Amino acid sequence: MKKALILLGCPESPSQTPLAIYAAYKLDKMGFEVTLASTPSAMKLLEVSDPEGHYIKNKIDLESCLDTIKEGDYQLLIGFAHKDAAVSYFVTFYYILNTKSIALVFHHDAEKLEAFEEVIKSSTDAEIVSARAYHNPTPIRVRLDRVLKPLGEL
Amino acid sequence: MFCLDTYLRESEDYTIHLSRAGFKDCAKFIEKNAKRVIHVPAGTKVIGARIIGIPPVPIGVDDEKSTIMLPYTKPCYGTAVVEIPVPPEEIRMIESKII
Repeated sequence: MKKALILLGCPESPSQTPLAIYAAYKLDKMGFEVTLASTPSAMKLLEVSDPEGHYIKNKIDLESCLDTIKEGDYQLLIGFAHKDAAVSYFVTFYYILNTKSIALVFHHDAEKLEAFEEVIKSSTDAEIVSARAYHNPTPIRVRLDRVLKPLGEL
Repeated sequence: MFCLDTYLRESEDYTIHLSRAGFKDCAKFIEKNAKRVIHVPAGTKVIGARIIGIPPVPIGVDDEKSTIMLPYTKPCYGTAVVEIPVPPEEIRMIESKII
């Protein structure tokens, strides 16, 4: 079974939790075994949002995941890149896993959004899904659907 | 396993040069202020912990003091530049990862 890792960052962006659950749901439907890696605080938000684990089936602490992952563990990486630290984490996981990767880049500040996109574009071959967004997850969700569609057809 | 987080909590033998900054600013700080700089791939294990960053990630080395200066990123707090003492063999190990 193909495996996907969804990498979460700091949970202060309200769009992250719903988008993570949505991405897990979509990837599960596409036949991926999905694992979510996050900080303890981001994990709490996921657990409260999905108390019976309908969408979040596998989860791992971000630091433990970072310590143990290696190339070949996952065939797809989807990472939230909505803060400077999240961009650094995404790029680092990209290099460790060396696999198909999608960065979800969003911020309410256009300059920061552009800067995050530029860092990812100049340092990886990852596909970039970006939108000027903060509270509203829809712009990213719509763009994510477009990027995931061809993966489901493989 | 060495844990940088635990080390910083339990030891006073370190210096934080920058905190709550962006990775780019931390990388610039290391390039400008370290006595000697080596560059490693993102995700390289340095003193047992994987380094987070945009490659090539700079690690500052002070051979006289036997310290290294490295970027240290936490998801909610951004990146800091931390200088910690290391045995000379750790410096040689980091040098073996140079890109």
